[in-house]
Amino acid sequence: MNRFSLAVSRGIARVTEAALGPYQTAVIRIGFSATWLLFLLRELPHRSELYGPDGPWSWGLAEQLIRANEAFTVLMWSDGRIWFEIVYALAILSSALLLLGWRTRTMSVVFMVGVLSLQNRSVFVGDGGDNVLHLMSVYLVFTRCAQVWSLDARRAARARAARERGERVTDRTGPALWCVSGFVLIAVTLAGRMEGDWLIPALLWTVWAAQALWWLAGRRATSGEPRILLDVVAGIVHNGALLVIMAEACLIYATAGWYKIQGSRWQDGTAVYYPLHLEYFSPWPALADLLSASGTLVMLVTYGTVLVQVAFPFTLFNRRVKNVLLALMITEHAVIAVVLGLPFFSLAMIAADAVFLPTSFLRRLGGWASRARDRLLRRGGRTPVPEQHAPESPETTHVGFGT
Amino acid sequence: MDAYDEGANARHGPDEPVGRSAPADQVLSVAASAEPLDQGPPLDQGLPPDQGLPPDQGPPLDQGPPVDPRSGIAALSLPGQIVVVLALAVVAVGVCVHLGMTFLHVAPTNTVTREHGKAVDDWIYPEFEQNWKLFAPNPLQQNISIQARAEVRDGEGGTVTTGWYDLSAEDGRAIDGNLLPSHTQQNELRRAWDFFLATHDTENRPVGLRGSLSETYLRRIVELRLDRDDAVRAATGGGGAVERVQVRSRTSNVPPPEWSREKVSTTPSYRELPWWPVPAAGAGGGAR
Repeated sequence: MNRFSLAVSRGIARVTEAALGPYQTAVIRIGFSATWLLFLLRELPHRSELYGPDGPWSWGLAEQLIRANEAFTVLMWSDGRIWFEIVYALAILSSALLLLGWRTRTMSVVFMVGVLSLQNRSVFVGDGGDNVLHLMSVYLVFTRCAQVWSLDARRAARARAARERGERVTDRTGPALWCVSGFVLIAVTLAGRMEGDWLIPALLWTVWAAQALWWLAGRRATSGEPRILLDVVAGIVHNGALLVIMAEACLIYATAGWYKIQGSRWQDGTAVYYPLHLEYFSPWPALADLLSASGTLVMLVTYGTVLVQVAFPFTLFNRRVKNVLLALMITEHAVIAVVLGLPFFSLAMIAADAVFLPTSFLRRLGGWASRARDRLLRRGGRTPVPEQHAPESPETTHVGFGT
Repeated sequence: MDAYDEGANARHGPDEPVGRSAPADQVLSVAASAEPLDQGPPLDQGLPPDQGLPPDQGPPLDQGPPVDPRSGIAALSLPGQIVVVLALAVVAVGVCVHLGMTFLHVAPTNTVTREHGKAVDDWIYPEFEQNWKLFAPNPLQQNISIQARAEVRDGEGGTVTTGWYDLSAEDGRAIDGNLLPSHTQQNELRRAWDFFLATHDTENRPVGLRGSLSETYLRRIVELRLDRDDAVRAATGGGGAVERVQVRSRTSNVPPPEWSREKVSTTPSYRELPWWPVPAAGAGGGAR
């Protein structure tokens, strides 16, 4: 009883004192935005056919479907060619800026609007990878995913240093961005374009209002309390969203695994052979033949796939086993990217897997990346930027607490 | 082996409702009346005043000496602590409800979903729809090729019927040796056909709004592709216009692996749709 209440209070303290997983949320931010960015660039020549007003799934067809399902898409605001080009360009721009972590909260919202707008406009051209991005773009809005490895983190560090030197730091870009987005939101709402399902419009307005609160709290308050309060609440929301993202990844694997168990081909150990021989999923027929030359090998991969997918959620209780499975799954997705010709699906899944990577590994990864960047910059004759660390590593918090 | 998009199982799981196979695709019948009834959406309501300003994500920077906010709730006054507890409760409930709803959405039909299916659908649609039956329960074991031909009016008022163009084979060739297949090559036609099958009965009669939408969609893809293949010019030697198009599917089993003792017939079967008139240029898709 005593132990139980101690555990509960420790848990509560943990989720209220910090936005957990700074490296994990940063890596999925980079992963998902990079996937979408690369996809948009790859489809640049085909953008009109996929999402444009005169594509096979024409604006008129989409309009009829969306009137019934009420999905959110700004592409229904106008059937003009120019509007479509603007939206596509903004989707590319917001992905790039989210990747870099510039004004991350706002960019995550614009990123979500871009993903939902294009995907809901043409729901019949997507696949599992698009589905992952669709969900994660919504969840990312709730996270503080720029605590490390971002321009925002760098700017925050510089501002802190400047303030320590006694300089005044004023931010003009943030309020300007807020005014522009407020103007757009008001105009769009007054024009009656926010009808349909209320979830996404409500989310847009909430984020906008919350940013105003955050700014006011930092500026007006004589005591630091309102800002601390908002910070704690933002941390709680972040932690909730992080949990949802992790649970979503588990649901994906669990569903994929448990439904496979019921299939005769997964039972007789031949399932992996078939996709390799479908016209639409065999970019390298010779490679596919090579991989499926041995019946025993195909059976091992077939059983292994089901085993890993079903087991994964349970291995989260054991760090070491979890990491082994994670490595296996990332490898399998990398293979699928090439062998089945599904690069963007695989990239999205690897990004989702990355949320489970251990902090120590991610920090090492960050170290390599920044050293590589410094080497590049030095060659270019610029001074290197100091490496970014989370204000507090989760380990220290964990150890320090409860004494 | 995750990659698979649905569609694959749509034709394979006899006990699955075919129409639900598309990933981000919305189910009309349900979503049409989707007025959120009793629950708010996940995490949104009462999403307290956080959602920080984009500028500063980290600890509060604007207050003189670096106050460490992470000294936790202890630093807050009583009303502040109450707000935090409320926020924690709202987020906890939101997360639990959202995960529960998502679980019920991806789980097989069961006692709870039979009873509360409407509530689950109201929560999930339109933005949280998902389908992870990737290559499950069984991977697709047939190659389905979509073929099309056109009836073209030539310059002298006669009509010519072109041969069958295998559009899926064209897709397959475009994917061969391709590290980055486009959605136009890998998904467009394939999923349009899945959509057509899911919204038509065995007599090729459309079911509901989606049925007629899927026909127009498929026809427009075929027009675009035949145009690209220049079927018109091939048939008439220039000039002329496509008056009607016809689509058929050719389904053939993937031959079993060499090391297997299984025997399956490799004779293809065909499903031929009726001829569809092509509206004059400009009057297309947007209208219907």
